[in-house]
Amino acid sequence: MKHLIDIENISKEDILNIVNLAKEFKNKTKKSDVIGKTIALMFYENSTRTRCSFEIAGQNLGMNIINFDANSSSLSKGESLKDTIENLYFLGVNAVVIRHNLSGIINNVMRLVKYPIHFINGGDGTHAHPSQALLDFYTMLEKIGSVEGKKITIVGDVTHSRVAKSNIRLLSKFGADIHICAPSYLQLENTQAFDVTYHDNVKEAIKDSNVVMVLRVQNERHEKEGYPDSSEYKRLYEIDTKSLKQYASKDVILMHPGPANRNIEVSSELLDNQLGKTILEQAQNGVFVRMAILNTLLKGGN
Amino acid sequence: MLLKNAKIVNPKTNFEDIADIKIENDTITKIEKNINAQPNEEVIDLTGKIITAGLIDMHCHLREPGFCTKETIKTGIASAINGGYTAICPMANTNPQVDNVTTLTYTINRAKEESEIGFHPICAVTKGLGNEKLVNVSELLDNGAIAFSDDGKPVENMHLLSQAIKYVNSHNSIIISHSEDSSLANDGVINEGKVSTRLGLKGIPNITESLAVARELEVVRHTNGKYHFAHISTKRSIELIRQAKKDGLQVTAETAPHYFSLTEDDMVDYDAKYKVNPPLRTKEDLEAVILGLQDGTLDVIATDHAPHTVAEKQMPIQNAPMGIAGFETALGITLTYLVHKGKLTLMEALRKLNANPANILNLKEQGSIEIGKKANMTVIDLDKEWTVDASNFKSKCRISPFDKQQLKGKAIMTIINGKIINIG
Repeated sequence: MKHLIDIENISKEDILNIVNLAKEFKNKTKKSDVIGKTIALMFYENSTRTRCSFEIAGQNLGMNIINFDANSSSLSKGESLKDTIENLYFLGVNAVVIRHNLSGIINNVMRLVKYPIHFINGGDGTHAHPSQALLDFYTMLEKIGSVEGKKITIVGDVTHSRVAKSNIRLLSKFGADIHICAPSYLQLENTQAFDVTYHDNVKEAIKDSNVVMVLRVQNERHEKEGYPDSSEYKRLYEIDTKSLKQYASKDVILMHPGPANRNIEVSSELLDNQLGKTILEQAQNGVFVRMAILNTLLKGGN
Repeated sequence: MLLKNAKIVNPKTNFEDIADIKIENDTITKIEKNINAQPNEEVIDLTGKIITAGLIDMHCHLREPGFCTKETIKTGIASAINGGYTAICPMANTNPQVDNVTTLTYTINRAKEESEIGFHPICAVTKGLGNEKLVNVSELLDNGAIAFSDDGKPVENMHLLSQAIKYVNSHNSIIISHSEDSSLANDGVINEGKVSTRLGLKGIPNITESLAVARELEVVRHTNGKYHFAHISTKRSIELIRQAKKDGLQVTAETAPHYFSLTEDDMVDYDAKYKVNPPLRTKEDLEAVILGLQDGTLDVIATDHAPHTVAEKQMPIQNAPMGIAGFETALGITLTYLVHKGKLTLMEALRKLNANPANILNLKEQGSIEIGKKANMTVIDLDKEWTVDASNFKSKCRISPFDKQQLKGKAIMTIINGKIINIG
């Protein structure tokens, strides 16, 4: 593996290797192979979790980390992303982690950059967020052992969610029973795009689920033309302790990629009780999974 | 000059046979078997080759004035000739737009400086492509306009459209529709479907086109007008046009080579060289386009040559402009994907490239090999295998979704008013 662009282009074996390596990092039985290597974090969209997580992962591995400020960089002076990345390569940067609001921006820039720098997708538009899917998978394995045949339900703004799409791609590879639940206006435009079960009724969707993954529903979305108020969403789709207890599997785990909109897609009370703690563990696991990603891509030469 | 032993395929007269063609000055004077050459007469042996009426592109963009980094009238004409075209009809969406006699005359004069190619500008329907005020139709026609279109933008004011159809038709010309509903197109990047969902790209749904086609067909029915649809790409649009023709409406339609050779599945790597409007559709639409060409619902294959700079086409797909360079690949794609695959006979394929556009636009000196007509012809090597090399295009747009593709069949000579241009 040289790059991490999306789950689609990596094998089951690659995924399991990353998960196993993350476990070793978590158990402190593995040492860094990438001490002294340099990564640049290029975040063109706001991010707390992913950015901090990559930064701490890099620090734990003894790497040099450049926090590239996209707003005050030469990009704001009109330099292209390709030129910026090629310059970073010549400054000694081994890998770039890119977060951007344009889907496919990394596929685009990879075609143009002529030097062997590693690319890591930190989330691109509504396309993919592979490191998030890997840490979600890691957390599921930790909690429920295996995903094969397990009912995993993703609820929320699926159409705009790169997290959902990367999770669907990953979980399909491992035989999970994937269910997607959203009101029509937040559902995937084309239901043939992924082989999953589609719902608009949340009770049916979470019935007997082993995992309920709640997605952020952006307030801004509901202010656009053609969407109802967010209160209309909350009324029908908000996940709370009562609905989980009543419909989902007894040992259900609750997940959320964050940041959560309290009392819109998930109730505040649920977030703060024991079920909500998995969401914080997801964030914690993210560091180990990202250590595994960086170590896997960057060990050995470029 | 004597062109010997070529197989003449002339759709206008349904003539298909080996014969010689004599050209005196710029005019065809004899078409017969075994014409004897006069002393000192130039003789060109075309044994094994096809000769047809010069190809006519009724839909292209030459970008001049205003966008000369993308293309100029000079490079656009060179590109067209290199693709076998003897007549072209540039669209009006330049800067300034071709909605006035001054700009129209400028483009015609620029073209004359470069070549004798048939140069027939399509002027805007509305001033500034602004969807408000009808252009001065008779004045533009008297100064060389051939038809009217706001191509690049739809005419969405239906009162205006119905006025325009009636008035333009009364001057024996037609309006060419860019059928698109802008509220549905809404900044879309590629076809809305499986691929757009998987890639996380904003989709342009099928109905964007067919809704506009349906609405405009009702206006044509109401006005009893003549009307032409540009770049048709969806199955539903084709069904609507097929029914309209059955009902006796005077409508014609064109598609472009990329709609019968490429689909949304070619776009999986976010490469903007495939980005075009209307977008590449599904396999089902592609098959409907081929069926439409076969049953005559689609009358014309036009290039929609829409050049941009390589740098622009390398931008992230959301920001890159829409358009594909078409002149230098159109015939090769048509022969490879339609003729050699047995979808259309050579005669029927060529009809959509010369006789039909000449008929729709009423071009007198183009579209047929006949005694007394100007010698505008294209010589084709039907079995020549060649590889598209966009870096060698005469167009400034040296990027193409067909780059590096193996094609079979190529124009090898373009003959304009009796002058031969060898294009290999």
